[in-house]
Amino acid sequence: MMRPFVEAIRTFRWEPFRSVDLVERLGYASGYARNFLSQATRQGLLIAESKRGKKEKTFRANPDVVREIVLRGGKEKTELLEALGLHSKFLGQYVALRGFSVVDHDADLFRLAERIFPDTEAQDEAVITNVGTPKKILTVEI
Amino acid sequence: MPSQIGVGKCWAFNDDEEPPYPTIELTVSSAHRKATISPKVDTGFNGSLALGREAVRKMRLTAKGTVLIKAATGHSEVPVYAVKISQPDLALSFTTIAIGTERSLAGRKLLENRTWLLDCKGRRFCLMTPTSAAKKHTGRSREEKYEQT
Repeated sequence: MMRPFVEAIRTFRWEPFRSVDLVERLGYASGYARNFLSQATRQGLLIAESKRGKKEKTFRANPDVVREIVLRGGKEKTELLEALGLHSKFLGQYVALRGFSVVDHDADLFRLAERIFPDTEAQDEAVITNVGTPKKILTVEI
Repeated sequence: MPSQIGVGKCWAFNDDEEPPYPTIELTVSSAHRKATISPKVDTGFNGSLALGREAVRKMRLTAKGTVLIKAATGHSEVPVYAVKISQPDLALSFTTIAIGTERSLAGRKLLENRTWLLDCKGRRFCLMTPTSAAKKHTGRSREEKYEQT
């Protein structure tokens, strides 16, 4: 499920797309594309939208998923950040993401955190993460 | 001309493992909870604070992200938390990012720009302060003054 989702983000970012776009742009079989859209929508990865007067639904990636994937970490996080194009712009840095938007970035984790979370009361929904291996990586000897 | 420094506030080593290890007492607070912890002093940690699982659970902290760190065993990904650290003896009170690890650790960012005494014989970790301040703080004898060149 994550692989076609990441591919969809890589291709369409947060713009709406249709089932036929998956077939034409990603080369998916129509049955596979329909199945993916149905499952991904049920799982909350995609948001389905239907415009009045138009028969075909459009889909777009759910921005809330970014936070969930970053907090889960691991390979999925790396793939998502790469699909969002962050590796080419912020490799070796820390970024603060709100949905799909990079709201701030810095090579120093603590400087970035000071700006994003100035106090513990701040209810900012932004999440902080590294893009690739940080140039100023935290080291713990034990 | 050399200036004198003396032993200021001390924290006892924790002897729950052998050999005992230095600790420092800190108050950590989140939006809703506050806890006093005694993290292990880790001079190999270049951050300020790492919170052990128990501290995270007690304070009901929610992660604000995940970052890659380099540990002795290799790279690993850990959660980060926004917390306020207070330590009156160090005149510290600031909000920062703490990483989530197996056990709580105090890193070099908390120790920097101060003089410390690692007293393994006396099993204590102490802040060194100018003599007058040290006397005022602990009332210790002249034997605990040191010359700083």
